[in-house]
Amino acid sequence: MRTPFRLVTSIATGAIAVCVCLAAAPSRADLFADIKARGRIPISIDPAAPPYSIVDEKGEYAGSEVEIAKKLAKDWSLQLELIPTTPANRIPHLIAGRSDVVISTLSITDERKKVIDFSKPYGAIQIVVGAPKAAPVSTLADLIGKRVAVTRGSTNDAEITKSALPGTEIVRFQDDATSITALLSGQASCYATAPALLTTVNKKNPAIALEPKIVLKTNVTGVGFKKGEGALEAKINQWIDKSLQDGSLNAIYKSYFGIELPPEVTSAK
Amino acid sequence: MTYNFDFGAVLAYWPLLLEGVWTTLRLTLFATVFGILIGAFCAITRTDGPAGARWVVSLYVEFIRNTPLLVQSYFLIFGIASMGIRLPILLGATLALTVNIGAYTTEIVRAGIESIHRGQLEAATCLGLSRTQTYLHVIIRPALERVYPALSSQYVLLMLASSIVSSVGVEELFGISNRIQSETYRNFEIFVVLGIIYLLLAVVVRAGFTLLGLAMFPRRRRLGTPL
Repeated sequence: MRTPFRLVTSIATGAIAVCVCLAAAPSRADLFADIKARGRIPISIDPAAPPYSIVDEKGEYAGSEVEIAKKLAKDWSLQLELIPTTPANRIPHLIAGRSDVVISTLSITDERKKVIDFSKPYGAIQIVVGAPKAAPVSTLADLIGKRVAVTRGSTNDAEITKSALPGTEIVRFQDDATSITALLSGQASCYATAPALLTTVNKKNPAIALEPKIVLKTNVTGVGFKKGEGALEAKINQWIDKSLQDGSLNAIYKSYFGIELPPEVTSAK
Repeated sequence: MTYNFDFGAVLAYWPLLLEGVWTTLRLTLFATVFGILIGAFCAITRTDGPAGARWVVSLYVEFIRNTPLLVQSYFLIFGIASMGIRLPILLGATLALTVNIGAYTTEIVRAGIESIHRGQLEAATCLGLSRTQTYLHVIIRPALERVYPALSSQYVLLMLASSIVSSVGVEELFGISNRIQSETYRNFEIFVVLGIIYLLLAVVVRAGFTLLGLAMFPRRRRLGTPL
């Protein structure tokens, strides 16, 4: 009765050993060559992050990053496959090989660099102070004596609290909706937030015509891909350089956020 | 129990907490003083005023008591601002609280006034007291004394309800705590600390009302019995 058991365990051990070897074997395949051969590129996006990417009224993916993904596929003459992900599983999807690249508001951070590789920056997530177009606000000093609305406890709150000069009246509201109400009712004249939210407010209330006036913070976003794909990295960087030079990335950014791409992106090495 | 408590992280923000306590107390004090004045005035009007004024007061009381305080503060801070009247946020919130507590006080004081026996009024007339004297000594003071317990718990409630105006941008105790929570991510600790602070504040407000009661109602002070 012991022999079959031993046989089973040795087969199991062998199988595990083979699996471990397979997993540990360095992937020598060139992902860029694979993509080209396949003629199709799966790109992860986060469809719940307007206006970066959303599902529009027609049920199709739309948004600034969707446009960037479409452009990448078109410039490389590939068929585009958009993979919807959430912020939490953007990177796991990539590592598991379910998508080849991520274009999904992924800020370039040192923690993430330990797990995946990034291209050079193609876009930015910013924190700005927005105000109506006509308001004479361009520096932090112009905010003195003005009421700046911000959503309590957000990263925007932390940034404006840190940078505001004494005499600036920061008013904190419980959520974005209340901050916007304060702005629309005239209880606050400026709003510390993401440029994307200003665009959304403008769409619903064209009369207020908010625009980003002061940039408080810029996080650059990069295209993410698996580690060790040198060829893919070089090709993507080339493509970003070209798209920055011909102004197409800037045009997409401007049409969604109302400002030019920041120098952190345009003159990144 | 896997949660590691770290009250130090929260208590390090004590200057902010103190600022919040101060704002909450200021809101409460202002609303209390003006709330009692509004309440006494409206209660007298509602029991003994001209028909038109009585009707206006009833409308005010019923409207305020049957709509949420949050809606009233939104109206005062954002609603009328849209029409061009921009109240400073703290002032708007204080007004909302005062108007709100005024309506509740009206009803409580009215109950007190209605509990005064007709015989007392007749006695006042027989003694030749003027209308003002009758109101001050025969009606309002005993009326307030009768409803004093209800009144003081209504004002403790007001102090606790002042946390609601944090949603319209007032940096009172609750609003400040939310800010601390989002900076420290220690939400369990902050709400424990917050609970204790509110409890202490309630004790302080209640003690204040007891002392005020002793000062206002000599009869109770001397005899020690309720009216």
